[in-house]
Formats: sequence, C-alpha cells, structure tokens
Amino acid sequence: MSWFWPEGFYTLAMITAFGFGAFALKLPIAVAMGLAAVTGSLLGGAGIPLRHLVEGMFGYIDTILIIATAMIFMKTIEATGLLESVAAWMIRKFRSFPAVLSLGIVFLIMVPGMITGSSTAAVLTTGALVAPVMIKLGVPTLQTAAAIAMSAIYGMIAPPINLPAMIIGGGIDMPYVGFGLPLLICTVPLAVFTALWLVYPSLRKKSHDPALEEELSRMARTPLTARLFLPMAALVVLLGGERMFPEVWPPLGMPLSFLIASAVGIFSGVKWNIPETVTEAINDALPVMGILMGVGMFIQIMTLIGVRGFVVVSALALPAWLLYVGIATSMPLFGAVSAFGSASVLGVPFLLALLGRNEILVGSALSLIAGLGDLMPPTALAGIFAAQVVGEKNYFRVLRFCVVPGLLTAVWGIAVILGAQYIAGILY
Amino acid sequence: MLSFNKGTRASAAFLLAFALVLAAFTGKNFLEMRLPDRVVPAPGFTSHMLSEWFPNISGTPVDTPVFTQDSGVPGGSVLIMGGTHPNEPAATMTAVIFLERANVSRGKLFVIPFANMSAFGHNSPQEASPQRIHFTLPDGSVRSFRYGSRATNPVHQWPNPDIYIHEASGQQLSGSEMANLNRAHPGVEDGPLTQRLARGLLELLLREEIDLAFDLHEASPEYPVVNAIVAHEKSMMLAAMVTMELEARGVPIRLEPSPKNLRGLTHREWGDATATMPILMETGNPSQGRLRGRTDEDLVMTGQDKFYAKAAELGRLFIPYVTDQPMDLRVARHTGSILTFLETLEFLDPEIAITVEGVPSYGEILEEGVGAFLSPVPDQ
Repeated sequence: MSWFWPEGFYTLAMITAFGFGAFALKLPIAVAMGLAAVTGSLLGGAGIPLRHLVEGMFGYIDTILIIATAMIFMKTIEATGLLESVAAWMIRKFRSFPAVLSLGIVFLIMVPGMITGSSTAAVLTTGALVAPVMIKLGVPTLQTAAAIAMSAIYGMIAPPINLPAMIIGGGIDMPYVGFGLPLLICTVPLAVFTALWLVYPSLRKKSHDPALEEELSRMARTPLTARLFLPMAALVVLLGGERMFPEVWPPLGMPLSFLIASAVGIFSGVKWNIPETVTEAINDALPVMGILMGVGMFIQIMTLIGVRGFVVVSALALPAWLLYVGIATSMPLFGAVSAFGSASVLGVPFLLALLGRNEILVGSALSLIAGLGDLMPPTALAGIFAAQVVGEKNYFRVLRFCVVPGLLTAVWGIAVILGAQYIAGILY
Repeated sequence: MLSFNKGTRASAAFLLAFALVLAAFTGKNFLEMRLPDRVVPAPGFTSHMLSEWFPNISGTPVDTPVFTQDSGVPGGSVLIMGGTHPNEPAATMTAVIFLERANVSRGKLFVIPFANMSAFGHNSPQEASPQRIHFTLPDGSVRSFRYGSRATNPVHQWPNPDIYIHEASGQQLSGSEMANLNRAHPGVEDGPLTQRLARGLLELLLREEIDLAFDLHEASPEYPVVNAIVAHEKSMMLAAMVTMELEARGVPIRLEPSPKNLRGLTHREWGDATATMPILMETGNPSQGRLRGRTDEDLVMTGQDKFYAKAAELGRLFIPYVTDQPMDLRVARHTGSILTFLETLEFLDPEIAITVEGVPSYGEILEEGVGAFLSPVPDQ
C-alpha cells in the first residue's frame, strides 16, 4: 500500500466535496462540511455511519453552549445601551492619547481571553465593547475586526490561562507550571505590534475630528450609571471568581456564567425586549454553531478512515529543515477544524519531535501557533465573531487584514522555538 | 440554484422529525454501550462492589465490581486494576485474565477489571473508536468487551471546568482532566464522581492494607513512557529487580521513577498516601495514538498501521514497532510482568508474597492468544 493511497485520496475527496458544496451548490458551510464527511465515509467503506456523525458533533457541545450564551450576553449589553455609552466615554477620555488608547484597547480585548482561555469570550465581551469606539474614532471596520480577532487570540494564549498549552503539556504529562513568562514573551510583542499596525495609524489621523462630537452625544444617550455596568460586573465576578478562588468558588462554567450575567441585565435600569434579544442572539450564533457541528462530523470521519493519521504523519515526515515550516503552516491550517484540536492532534507530536529543547518554551510557542487556528475558516471562531461584532458579513474581507499579524505570529512562534534554549538560559 | 435562506413551517417540521428519528436511532446505540461486560470469575473469587469500602459512591455510575480471592494462608495482599482508561483495552483484558484464571494459594488477590465503569459507557467524540472488541474462544464462542473512553461519561459528570485544579496539590490541568481517573487520586470524599471514585480506591487500599497495587495502562507508541514500569520510590527496588529479570527473559521494558511534581496519578498518590507499593505499567497501543490511520477494531486487535510504521522509520516512536503491536503481545507483556513482580516479591519480602497459579505466562499468551484463556460465558 503506498503512502498516499488511499488516505491521501480520501483527503482530497473530502476537501473537494466541501468546496463543491460550499461554493458550487452554495450550501451553508455546516451542511457542506457534513457532505464532505459523508463523502469521506462512503469512499472509505464506512457507509453512512450515523453513530460516528452524531458522536463527532458532540465534541463541540461545550463550545456551542458557550457561543450561544456569550452571544446572548453580548446582545444584552448592546440592548441596554452599555456598549455605546462606554464607547462614547472612552473616546472622550482618551482620544488625545492615541498611542496609549491603541495599546489600551488591545490589552482590554485580551483580558477576558487571558482569564477564560477563550478567544470567543474575548471577542464577544470587551471586543464588542471597544468595537464601536474604534470605528467611531476612524479605524476602518475591517481593521477593527482584524485587531479584535488578533487581540482575542493573543489573550487566549497569554497567561494565566492557556488551554492549548495545557492540552499540549498534558499530552506528555508536563504540568502547567512555569508558563507565565514564556507565554508573555510569546504574546506581548505581538500585541504591541497589532496595536501599532492596525489601530494606532487610524486613531492618530481621526482623533480630533470635530464631527465626532454630535455622534458621541447620540451614543451617550443612555446615562453611564453603575447599574448599567451590572451585567459586565457580574460576568467579571463570575468568571474571575472561578479562576482566582477555585477552592471556594462553585464551578459554574462559562455558559451558566454568561446566562447569569445576561439575566443581571434586568437590574440595569433600562427596559429592553428580552425575548427579541435572545432570539436575535441565537439566530446570529446559529451559523457558527452549525459549522462546529459540521466540523465535528468532518473530524470524526477523518479519524475513522485514516485521513487524520495521513495529515499528522505527513507533517512529521517533513525533512528537518522543513519541520518548522510544517509547524508554522499545518498547525494554523488544522486549526480550521479547531485550535484546541490542532494543539492536541499536531501540537503534541511536534513537541515530542522537539524534545530536548526547553519543553515549556516550545509548548508555549506551539500553543501560540495553534491559536492562529481561530482565524482559519471555516470555523475561525475569533475571526467570524469579530466580523459579526463590527457588522461585516464576509469574514474573508477581515482575514485579509489578519495576514500580516498572522504571519508575524507564526514567525515569532518559530523564533521562540528556535531560541528556546537561549531564552530559557535567560529566564531560568 | 438551491436556496437555503428561507425556511417554512413544513421544512422546519420535517427537519425536526428527521432529527428526532436520528436521535432515537443513535441514542439506542449509545445506550447499549452502558450494558456491563460479563466476566466469569475463577473458582474462589467473591464478588463485591467498591461502595462496600466507600459508601459515598453507592448507587452511582462509578461504583464498580471488586473481586477478591483469599487463600486463607497468610501472605501479602495484591491489587490488579485495569480499566482506569477504557480506551486502553490490554489493561482491562489483563485484569480479566487474572480474574478468570487465577488460583491463589497464599495471600489475597484483589481484581478490579473496570476501574472507571462510567467511562466504559461511551466513546470520546472525534476519536472514532470502535465500540466493542471481540475474542474467539477455543470452543468457538465469541466474547466481546467494550472499548470505552479515557474520561468519565459526561452524562454522569458534566460540565468540566475550564481549569481542573487537583485538590490535594493545587496543580492546574486542562479542564478535561477533571474526568480522568488517573489525575484524580487520592480523591476527594465529597467531590465530583471521578474524584469520589479515586477516593473509594484509596479506601480499599487503606482498609485492606494492600501491599502491592498495579494500575494497568496503555499508551500511544509516540509517548515517551510506553512499554514501561512507573514506580514510586517505595516500589523502586522491587521494580528495578523486575525490570532486570524481564530484560533477561527477552522482554525489554523501561523503568521510570514517578515524578514528584506530576500529581493525581496512582504511582504518586497511592505511594504517598498509603503503605502500598504502587506500580503503573504501560504497553504500546496504536489505536489510541495521534498518528494512527484507519481506526477500527482491527487496529485495536492487531496494532497494524502504516502510519505508525512510517513514524517508526522516522524515529518518532518509543517502542520497537515494525508492522504491528497486537493485543496478544500487549496483554502478554502486562501479564508476564505482573507474574514476574509476584515471583520477585518472594525474594524481596517473603512475608508479603502471594502465590498465584493458573495464569498463562507471557509465552503462552503469545502462542495461543488472549481468547484461549477466557472462559465461556454460561447461558443466562
């Protein structure tokens, strides 16, 4: 049996079926993924394995719940007027300091990701909060979405919580200890670059636009009272409490925390249509939730018929000089199915292939590169939600502006791997 | 051109009905995974439940059978545990062979074949594992055993936190490890199910004053700790002697010390919290690895995989892999290693030695296969 046949053929067939469904038949991405999965299972001699198709979807049940509830939360704070009021306040306060404002915006987006380990949470909370600020200050919509997506990914990778690093470390029984500084080395320079590349130039140009004042008055029509902040405060307390006091804090999980925080919106002193808001939130989140279910089927069939092994071993089989190129390309590409999946399926073998360097630094860098998977369509959790937050329907237009920081992220990740021993000598 | 943007009540009703039919069909399949595997204990074994030692798990899905055989002759107490991770089937099958074959003439033997009973009742999503594996017996009958998941069934313990904090040490792990029995030791008395199960196992060790305890596992061939014995400091002398003996018999095996900073595993926590000498053993199982190709029962039973063969060529594996890694070899390694431990215990401390007869040797299992040593299931 040759190396390529039949698994390589199945790989091409599944990709072709997906492309045909999505672009020729114009099927929703989720359905196209399902079609590709069924094509793979039929060609692989597994028929239409309902058990596998359903089981694969369940791999994302937790993520789907987080997305649904996070979207309800975002729509709630939008409906109460908090988003626009905060945006107006921030613009008035900091528009004279564009450099500080750029860095502050990026850091603010990163914080929920740092605490929760989820880029989705970062995009849908502070990302949604700062998006109107950035747009009103003159950052073009697409750059705004790109900056939010990149910052959310850096937040997901930055300490204290980095789930891909935990997953990669868990694969070789390496405890999640001592990752703080390496993860800061991985993320902080990139976050600064993103602020200066995507945000600062526009802020510098537009921060003194006199026509802005009228718009700011409209945005600030909901008074910025303490009560208005209750949902956001509740979310910070619920998510932060679980991280900071795990011994005493009940483990509510992100979905319940988002729901409770949304419910707290009732006490924010503003009336809004709750059923309409919730319906709109679920309606907006449905395509992404559907994509995840399609991806779940796709990955289960990939595993069933051997495509996963073909992809992983093909990456590992690259000659030594190409291994780093393989890491920089295959991990983000596999992230198209899930960044966490990329960390598990490719991150662990790559870390094993690089044993002997400083494993904490290498694991940190691999987690950074895996994080780029959240930009990769069709799932692209960070990217698609960032596009949604700014009202952009075509994510690919946003992706164009993620290319430069994305490439730099991959290069920086590889640089950290190559210099792992040198950096470790300085750090430890 | 097809349009999927507009739905109607009729299309919605059709899709809902389709989803219900799908749920009913697959739900029945998933529920069948919860039916327990049947075992045929050898004469002399008595059957118990772990909750007899730790009532906090009574009536829960993690309560699991404990089989004991007491020779009545003074000697040591030994525990053989498989099924910590039900996707590591050679571990379960080794425990089952001891259960169905052992005749204890000195000391006391405890066997737990399905340590995490809940995890046997489902498969991990996106792993595409087979649900059952089958063995043909000499009389032509076929017995099947479930191939489960590494984690406690989420139907029984859910959701996982984002971060799992091991209570005894404060160590942080990915949230999914909360459902991993071998990150839950020494357990938590009133904690989540997996942590309670771990606590139940600790109670068994303490109350029965177990001298030597085996926690059997399998690992993917690319994992550094494979074809290995992992020993706590207090087990190290015995494990070193066994390693030398096995090497002399042509069974290469590596010996690894239990890391002090990796918490929640049997080889660390049982050794720290009890007088037991804990031993964890791993064989190489391609069906749980990340590099595997087509995933099915054949892979579980034969370990034949062209991608692992390629990875071996590339020097990426930690086991000698040429074309396969069959179940018979993996069970033979575990069984032969345990028998060597029991023989060596005699030299190390005769007072805690136990004598077990009737269990096939490494060579016998390799020659005749696992199925040859399973007992036919009597008609119900």
